[in-house]
Amino acid sequence: MSNVAVVGAGQTHHARRRTDVSQVGLAREAAVRALQDAELTMDDIDSVIVATGPVLFAAVNQPEKWLVDALGARLKPVVRVTSGGGTGLAGALAAVNQIKGGFAERVLVVAYDKLSEGALQYSISTLYDPFWGREFAVGIMGFSAAYWKARMDLLGHTEEAAALVSVKNHRNALLNPYAHVRKEVTVEDVLASRPLCWPIKLLDVPPISDGACAVILAGEDAAKRSADPAWIRGMAYYSEGENAADRSMIQSEPLRIAAEKVYREAGISNPRRQVDVVEVQEPYTCFELSYYEGLGLCPPGGAAQLIESGATQIDGDIPVNPSGGCMGANPIGATALIRLAEIAQQVRGRAGAYQIPDAKVGLMQAGGGWANLRGVAVVSSTKN
Amino acid sequence: MSQLFTSPDVPQVLTTTLSIPYTLTPGGAAGQFLAGLAERRILGSRCEPCARTVVPAQDVCGRCGEQTPDLVELPHGGTVTSWTAHQGRVVAKIRLDGADADLLHVVAAEPGAVEVGDRVAADWAAEPTGWITDLAAFTPGRARSGPAEATPVARAETSVEMVPYRLDLTYHHAYGPYYGRMFDELGSFSRLMGSRCSSCHRVLLPARAICDVCFARTDQFDEVSDTGVLQAFSVIHMEFVGQTRKPPYVYAEIVLDGSSTRLIHTVAGDFDLADAASTLSIGMKVKAVWKPESERVGTLEDIAYFEPVIP
Amino acid sequence: MQRRISRVAIVSVAQTRLRPSWDRLQHVDLIGSAVTDVLKGTGVTMRDIDFVIDCGSDVLDGRSISNCGFLGAMGGHHKEESRVEEDGLWGAVYGVTKILAGPASIGLVVAYSKPSESDVSAYYSTLADPFYQRPVGLNHRVASGLAAREYLRAHGLDPEVLDAPAAAAWRNAAANPYVEVADAPDAATVASGGLVADPLREHHVSRNVDGAVAVLLAAEHIAERITPAPVWVTGMGSAMDSQMLTDRRPGELEAAAAAAGTAYRRAGVTDPASLALAEVSATSVAEELMVLEALGLAPRGHGASLYGDDSPVAVNPSGGAIPADPVMATGLVRLAEATRRLTAANATTSRAVVHGAGGIGMQNHCVFTLEV
Repeated sequence: MSNVAVVGAGQTHHARRRTDVSQVGLAREAAVRALQDAELTMDDIDSVIVATGPVLFAAVNQPEKWLVDALGARLKPVVRVTSGGGTGLAGALAAVNQIKGGFAERVLVVAYDKLSEGALQYSISTLYDPFWGREFAVGIMGFSAAYWKARMDLLGHTEEAAALVSVKNHRNALLNPYAHVRKEVTVEDVLASRPLCWPIKLLDVPPISDGACAVILAGEDAAKRSADPAWIRGMAYYSEGENAADRSMIQSEPLRIAAEKVYREAGISNPRRQVDVVEVQEPYTCFELSYYEGLGLCPPGGAAQLIESGATQIDGDIPVNPSGGCMGANPIGATALIRLAEIAQQVRGRAGAYQIPDAKVGLMQAGGGWANLRGVAVVSSTKN
Repeated sequence: MSQLFTSPDVPQVLTTTLSIPYTLTPGGAAGQFLAGLAERRILGSRCEPCARTVVPAQDVCGRCGEQTPDLVELPHGGTVTSWTAHQGRVVAKIRLDGADADLLHVVAAEPGAVEVGDRVAADWAAEPTGWITDLAAFTPGRARSGPAEATPVARAETSVEMVPYRLDLTYHHAYGPYYGRMFDELGSFSRLMGSRCSSCHRVLLPARAICDVCFARTDQFDEVSDTGVLQAFSVIHMEFVGQTRKPPYVYAEIVLDGSSTRLIHTVAGDFDLADAASTLSIGMKVKAVWKPESERVGTLEDIAYFEPVIP
Repeated sequence: MQRRISRVAIVSVAQTRLRPSWDRLQHVDLIGSAVTDVLKGTGVTMRDIDFVIDCGSDVLDGRSISNCGFLGAMGGHHKEESRVEEDGLWGAVYGVTKILAGPASIGLVVAYSKPSESDVSAYYSTLADPFYQRPVGLNHRVASGLAAREYLRAHGLDPEVLDAPAAAAWRNAAANPYVEVADAPDAATVASGGLVADPLREHHVSRNVDGAVAVLLAAEHIAERITPAPVWVTGMGSAMDSQMLTDRRPGELEAAAAAAGTAYRRAGVTDPASLALAEVSATSVAEELMVLEALGLAPRGHGASLYGDDSPVAVNPSGGAIPADPVMATGLVRLAEATRRLTAANATTSRAVVHGAGGIGMQNHCVFTLEV
């Protein structure tokens, strides 16, 4: 089976509001940077996959139809894959399949959201069944906070442990030139911050950002012409019926299934030892704790201890979100692809000030919806 | 009695409207084009390699994909190259003099009075609003304003940075057989009815035809209790556009006795919401508090809230 | 060592009847019906299916990430599932590439819509950029009217040339058990219909219908165990044109031709007329003729000739998209229709071309070639 690699990645300088570019202008910036990073032009691209958040975020239905011109992709295959917050990874997975399936040799994946333009919580609340429950919807924050409270009681994911995630990711974001939020916070700041949906407080929540990311994936022959490809060693994206009978809300089943599949493909049996760097998409701090367990970085119920131990700090043995994660920037539709771009740049040695020394194997996680869409990928500087 | 129950032969729908506010940024060339309209200038963009001037101005040439930083001010007159009339309105492609591509706009004329090849001229709105409709329409006849030919201009200094916008979308969601029965029972008897999976025998609420886990059909409706277990909760302090109730309140996920799924609702009662975090606990028994019968409308909000059951 | 998959087949198709309004059923009912039916008689159970690709529209459904709400009905629980927010034929592209990529070997592609529940005109107008095209009233009807005028002018044709193909589409649809047609108009009725988007009349433009369609795809080594008559996907291509209507070439569909070129190259098709069955999508009869010409089935300006009794190609024997356009599912319905005809006991051809489209004025195009 042919291999696929990331050969270029780029992102915008994320911000609360960009009034100098339109949605498509923003997406173009990331695409241009990815092409420069890969030393390619649009002529080298066979196919484009666009990934954005739900269309009601942005008042533009099927925005790839608008984006095609800004990308200079006229008359190429262009399609949009969407899957809530994890959409960027769902898009990358579609690209991997296009390449392995012989449909394209190089695919440009572009993901973005310009959240300043919409009414975020209102738009997200339309995720709820119009007949049943929408009247109680609080975006996805009320839901996420509710199950954090449950995990707090059952797994010890305390407010203090989540605050440590906020402190770590905010500090890491100081090193990231593309980050939107660059300010140091303390555990005390987080705990004292205004409750939005208790136990979620203001500093447990990432910013709302305008931003875009683009990644270029290439098949084995094309990737070999790249100086430093980041090989995709495994990638999967699984779903779960959001109100299925006895759905486990404490440990994510789709995350477990996706991680198992990807680890098997990548030959990973002990991620804590075998992975050098991790990027997770944490829409709220509590989710990062949950992912530690779902990804097998620690046993169930061990997340608070893992963050307290310092292991996931940038200089720890299993650094998580050295880029600052979503705390640094959160253009929702782009965040999953940003996580993939970040681990690719890490194993390519291009992560700049937050480069993990000698990183060879990177792990990323992303997801969306009712926490029922979950994906995982592993990239490596070596093919196998 | 609910309408559904009394007239089961009439298809029933739930009408909802989404009315979402936006603040859109045209950016780059579009921002300058729109700002130009306030000065009654029509700006196009010029791609030198493709030797094309397109209008309205674009940041990127649609043909070659390269940036087109050169702006051109175009005459206000042009020729109709194509038109249609839809719902009494003529929309046309207009080739402005000096442009190499058409502009899509409205022609203020009766459908029968427009032909391909007709000359038309820009007609301006009295008060600019920052939208393309500041150029209100084109009208038959010769232009009486604007430059005589396409004229290169420096990047405009003014730009429209943000324009308010709203999407209003209305839906008529069908109830279908499962929700129809479920809401009938709720509206007529204040009863919560789920459907039972023919394979795993678990009861699913809201009722549905197919069990998510087994992909087996459900084969009977079963009544679900209005008591249950608080599976998760949070305390809402945040306010946002489109919110249906005033904070603070409790967002609750409850598994009702006799069902295996989560119900989204709120918990209240004889406690101070400020103390909800310590008063409520995961796994606690809760019971529905129904609104007075006269206030029930056959929705989930017939249950005013769930209250903790003190053993 | 993983098996290298060289071919993918359509092994089963199913769909609901297409009706102007399925007002007594929900999306999940339509989806569940199509998905249940597509498994019937195949020996495949939901447990055997490796992945689900679904195509639908949040804007039509009135719900963000609407696939989340419909996962159970499409069997997506604890499976690899992705939403392609485009016509279902692009979902099929994803499905085929995923099986060719391995290790997945059986995939389900689902597309659905209930335009009766929403405002289709708003669905289309919100596809336009918000600054230049949306405020001046662009929607699918305006785009079709402009395209029709440009097509007729480019080839010196009278609008009457559209009447016979429209009547043929409605006649075929009336004979199709999967399409609800109360009264099929003849050419004279078409000609006397009210103008909807000058020069297009009522029966020249697509009628939106509700429905769902499901297609089961399988790798070569499994396909022949599931069905005695697998329909092989021999080629696929897609291409998107400019978003600006004014930046597209008038009178033709350049992107459809590009998509067909790719599909034909992959399939080794040198004479498109050898594809004796064509199931194509369009939002108006004029655009249907433009599609046929872009697919190389007729010379430019001669698409209408393909509707005669002596036509070398059977065009839309299902009726096509004019009498029945379940937006987002239309192209995948074409794939299902072509599959049924290729595998029918009285099949007259072994090769087909299938076309789907998306966007205003058919901005995006996808082409499949099939063979039994």
